[in-house]
Amino acid sequence: MLFSRRLMLGLAMAGSLASALAFPALAGEGPTEIDLFFPVPVDGKLARDMGTLIKEFNETHPDIKATAVYTGSYDDTLIKTRAAIKAGKPPSAVIMSANFLLDMQIENELTNLDALIKADGTTKEQFLGQFFPALQGNAVINRSVYGVPFHNSTPLLYINADKAKEAGLDPNKPPQTWAELTDWAKKLTKRDGDKVTQWGIAIPCAYDYCGWMMETLTMSNGGRYYNEEFGGEIYYDTPSMLGALTWWNDLIYKHKVHTPGATPGPAVSTSFISGNAAMMMLSTGSLTYVRDNAKFAYKVAFIPRNVRNAVPIGGASLIVPAGLEADKQKAAWTLIKWMTSPEKSGWWSRATGYFAPNMAAYKTPEMVDFLNKNPDAKTAVEQLDVAKPWFATYKTVPVRKTLEDEVMLVLNGKKQPKEALVAAQKAADETLKPYNAETSLKLP
Amino acid sequence: MSLAEPAALPVATSAAPRLEVIRRFTTRFKASLPAYLLLLPSLVFLALFTYGAMGRVVLDALYQRATPKAPVRFVGLDNVSAVLADPAFTGAVVNNLIYAVGTAVPSIGLALLFALALARTNAVSSALRAALFLPVLIPMVAASALFMFIFLPNVGLLDFYIGRLLPVLPNWLGDPDVALYAIMVITIWKNAGYYMLFFLAGLQAVPEDVMEAAHLDGAGPYRRFRHIILPELKPTFLFVIVIATLNAVTQVDHVFVMTQGGPSNSTNLVLFYIYQQAVEHYDVGKASAATLLTLAALMGLTALSFRTMANREGGP
Repeated sequence: MLFSRRLMLGLAMAGSLASALAFPALAGEGPTEIDLFFPVPVDGKLARDMGTLIKEFNETHPDIKATAVYTGSYDDTLIKTRAAIKAGKPPSAVIMSANFLLDMQIENELTNLDALIKADGTTKEQFLGQFFPALQGNAVINRSVYGVPFHNSTPLLYINADKAKEAGLDPNKPPQTWAELTDWAKKLTKRDGDKVTQWGIAIPCAYDYCGWMMETLTMSNGGRYYNEEFGGEIYYDTPSMLGALTWWNDLIYKHKVHTPGATPGPAVSTSFISGNAAMMMLSTGSLTYVRDNAKFAYKVAFIPRNVRNAVPIGGASLIVPAGLEADKQKAAWTLIKWMTSPEKSGWWSRATGYFAPNMAAYKTPEMVDFLNKNPDAKTAVEQLDVAKPWFATYKTVPVRKTLEDEVMLVLNGKKQPKEALVAAQKAADETLKPYNAETSLKLP
Repeated sequence: MSLAEPAALPVATSAAPRLEVIRRFTTRFKASLPAYLLLLPSLVFLALFTYGAMGRVVLDALYQRATPKAPVRFVGLDNVSAVLADPAFTGAVVNNLIYAVGTAVPSIGLALLFALALARTNAVSSALRAALFLPVLIPMVAASALFMFIFLPNVGLLDFYIGRLLPVLPNWLGDPDVALYAIMVITIWKNAGYYMLFFLAGLQAVPEDVMEAAHLDGAGPYRRFRHIILPELKPTFLFVIVIATLNAVTQVDHVFVMTQGGPSNSTNLVLFYIYQQAVEHYDVGKASAATLLTLAALMGLTALSFRTMANREGGP
């Protein structure tokens, strides 16, 4: 280990020497150079929009030179950020999936932003007050700010309005409860003998999406999914989740209005666009895609409730990794504040389809104009009133996966909901054990 | 002082041979110095990127932390036993075995068939060879994206055509019983053309006179294939089998793109398991231990096959 570290150090020194020789200008006084890691979770156009945004920042901030580095999916971005931190060269800012923040904070990989907020002369409450309350849960850990919401989403119910009318349903009065949704789905399913030619509803289930949809269904069934205050607990084996999974299972095997098996997000949206599924539950992030591709009238609505209206948020926050020099930290903070300001926040929202986390963005004239032209973009923002944080625990991804693997077995008719949830709970508790050993179960 | 005198004796007696050894070594070294110098650049890079990394994996496999904030400590072979006890790992090994056999056998079989059919060079066979080789040129990730569309439930290309014949179709990538086989189809499609190249080369080496003699002796096509072509192709077979096995372990891009090891770990292969441990579980110790186990298995397999091959070629 020592050998390779020394080797690495030697290489790094050689490298920096070479670059100092090659670019003498960089070695001297100049603008603070910072890197921003950004993922593209939905489609390729985002990368170009990010380029535009950063170019504008550099033009208006001559003392900082920011470079946007594309780092793949949300998961890839976490990997690359961690690798960069380990190599001793962390990026100055990262757009990080909002539910990875807790895990990173536990691993000491995040900069506590409280001091930077204080240095600006604002209080934490004032700073956080700019953002929708639902987004604060994923940004604040142990009462300290670790992330700034950048682009966010909630799940929505998408309805093919033409098919609804055909089936004698009024698309302007979308289903509000699970009972109504089940009824709609039955009426919207078309059969030709054994073969289903049109499915009533499609709900995605692939790693990442599946956990999010389970959280959606569980929350609208009154549940919590996880302990919002403490990263060592997850609530899989509970009545609220059992109800959620049983209903999903019933849609497939009892009512036969949902295609069997686990269907990934892109397959669900393709199915909806092609008219093969008359309704779907999907992220607001897909709204632009649906708007651009649907050749029929569509409607978006709140996720129907069984017990209460509640949905999790999705999306990403801007973070500052730990271990940065002070000048880079300050430059990154300037960039973050600029990117999350009402104007830029609104611009990014219109470009991507995510909603703008900064509430003031919706008061800008461009945004008012945009919402008048695209009223469907309003639904996601209105649903924020009932939105709650995205699940985040110690080792979020493996903990989420234990549930997803079991849910996939249920959707394929290989397990019953109850036994699946018991198994998921057991596996998740096992993963959470080391963290509990050092927190909740570490006793005097 | 008194101690030094008796000590001087053995030194004096042994000095001559030791010097001799050193001298012989230095002359030999001097003679081969240019060779070492020429090898140095590759040695440096091998050390940096291959042996250094392997050494690091061995070291990392021996360390583990008990709780998130605890420092890493030496745990010996605990990581290895933890990996072996993990049902996800054993599941991945079983999947990988099914995957290896299920992709190697059909793709090698197809490759041989293609090679035999297209052994003679003419305009048609050249065009067909190119067509069969085409999948090799498509990057695995691009191919996966293509097949994701083909496999889309209800609306994909496959369902569009087969859907007219069968009423109920499986959810190709969403059903744990089917997903691994769907993945295997892609590997076979992609690799058969590649292995065909080796068989085409192997067929060139089948001696013309032996074939002619067999022909004159009245051996039919089957007997010529069974008793002349197959034995002559044995080294090619061994080589292709080794390559196919290595591919089955190292080429898992489509798993990353299409299924992420799911649904319910049904397409989880060993390399993807290692990735999961390193990245999702953030458990470098376990990931390194799993890497070591895989590396050991692969090296054992390769050594075995190449020894068999050497024996065949060197034997009577």
